[in-house]
Amino acid sequence: MKDEVDLTNKRDTDAERLANQIVRHVSDEEWGVLTDQINQLANDPQPNTLARVFTAIPRTIRSADKDLRITFDETAPVNSDQLPLLVKDWSLARLVRVWVLMNLPALEQQAYVSLIDRLFKYGEMEELVALYSALPIYHDPAAWKPRCTEGIRSNMAPVRQAIILNNHYPSRFLDEGAWNQLVLKAFFTDEDIPQIIGLKTRNNAALAGALVDYAYELHAAKRNINPFLWVLVAPFLDDRAYRLMEQLIQESEHRSTRKAVAYAFSASSFAPAADFIKENSELTDLLDTADTPWDGWLDQTD
Amino acid sequence: MCNYSERDRASMGERVALDLDLVKGFRFFDPHIHMVSRTTDDYQAMADAGVVAVIEPAFWVGQPRTGIDTFRDYYSSLIGWERFRASQFGIKHFCTIGLNSREANNEALAEAVMELLPFFIYKEGVVGVGEIGFDDQTAAEEKYYRLQLELAKDAGLPVQVHTPHRDKTKGTSRSMDIALEHGLDPGKVIIDHNTEETVKEVLERGFWAAFTIYPFTKMGNERMVEIVKQYGPERILVNSAADWGISDPLAVPKTAALMVKSGIPKEVIEQVCFKNAVAAFGQSGQLDESMLTESMVIDQGQKFEGNSILRGGQQPRRDAGSIIIS
Repeated sequence: MKDEVDLTNKRDTDAERLANQIVRHVSDEEWGVLTDQINQLANDPQPNTLARVFTAIPRTIRSADKDLRITFDETAPVNSDQLPLLVKDWSLARLVRVWVLMNLPALEQQAYVSLIDRLFKYGEMEELVALYSALPIYHDPAAWKPRCTEGIRSNMAPVRQAIILNNHYPSRFLDEGAWNQLVLKAFFTDEDIPQIIGLKTRNNAALAGALVDYAYELHAAKRNINPFLWVLVAPFLDDRAYRLMEQLIQESEHRSTRKAVAYAFSASSFAPAADFIKENSELTDLLDTADTPWDGWLDQTD
Repeated sequence: MCNYSERDRASMGERVALDLDLVKGFRFFDPHIHMVSRTTDDYQAMADAGVVAVIEPAFWVGQPRTGIDTFRDYYSSLIGWERFRASQFGIKHFCTIGLNSREANNEALAEAVMELLPFFIYKEGVVGVGEIGFDDQTAAEEKYYRLQLELAKDAGLPVQVHTPHRDKTKGTSRSMDIALEHGLDPGKVIIDHNTEETVKEVLERGFWAAFTIYPFTKMGNERMVEIVKQYGPERILVNSAADWGISDPLAVPKTAALMVKSGIPKEVIEQVCFKNAVAAFGQSGQLDESMLTESMVIDQGQKFEGNSILRGGQQPRRDAGSIIIS
């Protein structure tokens, strides 16, 4: 019988929540090893010890089902300055690695950052996925901005996805330029856009302008345009955007594109867009948002 | 590599048309290939030919390195970017990490590399220390070969041993002598680039014997067929060692096809072109057959009007037979 997890002197209920997940999927012996390692690191976070423990996690939890994928609701942070962690389709090794990182003590900033930086520097693909997933839980959150910006440039899709999708860190900490690069990169790499957190609150005119440029480029190349692009463009509609959208709503062979444009027009205060909807009442069925990725967008708070 | 002697077509024996239908349904494991030098066309062709896994040994890259950072970035690419690139084609990418013999001769740099190795050899998917051993058979090469054998022993990892082109037979014997002197289990040491001249001793001493099918400078696959006929499949591995020289990333499937044509039983072919690699490098604890039978998870992602978005394991295929690029 395993003990209920008690790590009260560590990172609070967040860490406990992860621990309670982990304990279910590993053997008693593996759990013992993990908790010993966590305690050792909490008392004396030596860089070499951390590197060894962190790298060896898949070996430490060898008995666990490798196909297991874990999803749970956002952890509710104890302090308002701590970001929630969103766990969606994670492997157990990824979850354990993030849990190990959560349990590291808050050292003096430089020591703490260099401790984790070294893991980034020598990380293999899965380690990098875990390290970037953990951006919301690191101490000294502002110190991780350059790292986050760098990670968005990664060519390894799983690494990039760990930052771009279901991660609260970027929208909270990136400046506008880096944020816009994240969103553009997500469109370029065909990510599932609604999984980006903060899309609504961080939406801005410069981004909308770049997205419209991108849409023109795709249109010229006769490539598909992700309809969600128009949802982001909607609050910043101008003549240039409108010209292409007016063409698409009438000519696009993709119903989802016509629906997205209709939605953008209806949500916009740009007069020609509102007029277009009024004058083409036969298009009102396009305004039904059921089963679209932007269903509920108006009520969304982040 | 490029220093092959000119040979006319007539001296190269009968030409056999490429017919990979002979090996349809086979799974192949190429346990020595330098994918950093290969294109996506190669990955695609390998996947089409049945290659499901590769091992990329750390080697030199044609141009000598002059600094430790390029070593670090190279090792990082073997456990990062290259692994991802392979996964896009449904190929499992493993690697061995080590200081190659050529660059062991730059002693100042070699010292720094030795300090770097422990950061990499314990990583997931690192199935051995390699490729290490002799090139010119210098004192410096010997020193770093010995140090890395100790490293492998401490880490419990297999060793992938590069044997020299020049003075090969003696160099191979010496590589084995030294490995045994350091107390390594020959069953965890893969001696690479064997020939008809070296294979007997390697097998008799209990080591794994790998053969590199590489045009002009190493083994041809007709010779490989004869070796398998003579020695059987035990502890014999076939690889391509394809790199930045004139080499062939399909060497393993092509050799298997030639074996089929030559009447070698399927079980034997599977053993030398797949199972032995799993058994030899599986001793790292980083690789087992179940990892290679996992079906690739293909995430179709969100669909827009029925146009699925391509994700990992399902790369869009370019049409090589068309002048249209779209």
